[in-house]
Amino acid sequence: MYVKRIFLLAVIFIFVATVFPFLDTTIITIASPIWRTINKILGSEVPPSLMSNQTQENILLELAGRKQKTNVVVASVLTRPPQTPYDVIIIDAGLNESIVIGSEVSLPEGPILGVVSEVFPKSAKVKLFSASGDEINAVLERNNVPVTLIGTGGGNFRFELPRDMIVETGDRILSSDITARHLATVGDVSVRPTDSFKEVLAKSPINIFTLRFVFVAP
Amino acid sequence: MTRRLIGFVLILVSILILPYWIYIPVLFVGIVLFPFFWEGIILAFFINIIHNVGTSFSVSLISPLTLAVLVALIVLLPIRESLRSYV
Repeated sequence: MYVKRIFLLAVIFIFVATVFPFLDTTIITIASPIWRTINKILGSEVPPSLMSNQTQENILLELAGRKQKTNVVVASVLTRPPQTPYDVIIIDAGLNESIVIGSEVSLPEGPILGVVSEVFPKSAKVKLFSASGDEINAVLERNNVPVTLIGTGGGNFRFELPRDMIVETGDRILSSDITARHLATVGDVSVRPTDSFKEVLAKSPINIFTLRFVFVAP
Repeated sequence: MTRRLIGFVLILVSILILPYWIYIPVLFVGIVLFPFFWEGIILAFFINIIHNVGTSFSVSLISPLTLAVLVALIVLLPIRESLRSYV
């Protein structure tokens, strides 16, 4: 009797695993209005002041003769951790706003957060750099040392440095591209007497649990 | 049957609007409370589809959450008869 039920469970499991990926767009499209309504109730809509924002960093790049794309899309965050167990957020802008897979997502203040992983007509899923196991190249500002940040979830990162290298709590970690945008801030440094490396724990410059708006560069 | 349906809808709604540290335990409570709660598999995949990226067939099969739900359902089959439930 148990074998029959176990077999039935296995069949259901495989059936759902096969069918659900095709329903991805439909499910997100149905769920988005619910999240939008909750956002409206909580007052998390995009303020008009964000629509015409040009960061200081863009002005500097323009002076240096290297213009950065300024056609950014402002999007509200529909779901954010801890609603999701993974470091994935859903934003209310998608294919209709020319957003594509790989589009860069950043905060209005400048710090970069992640990239678009899945796009739907009116929404998109953004995988944050802090997603568990994800790696990203960065630069430790204090010594200009290239490091590889490893996401540990919840907006946190970790990386290793030789034990002789000086790093202190509050040091900034920047992206390794020309814009050198703020990625994370050193939160804690731990080193054991027997180790030749020190482990550095870093955190996102903002609390991802309270994310409300983001900029997306299509 | 009605309670089972209400339970399913409640878990579904909690997945949409509540934090994961509420809806994941609630899902497992549902699996324990309702006999042969195969709907738990659908709900686990629903969580994956909504909140995760790269939800292809192969990724879904090895997702820790969906596997945990399947294992919980299978483990509960033989010990279910010793559990007393009023739902």
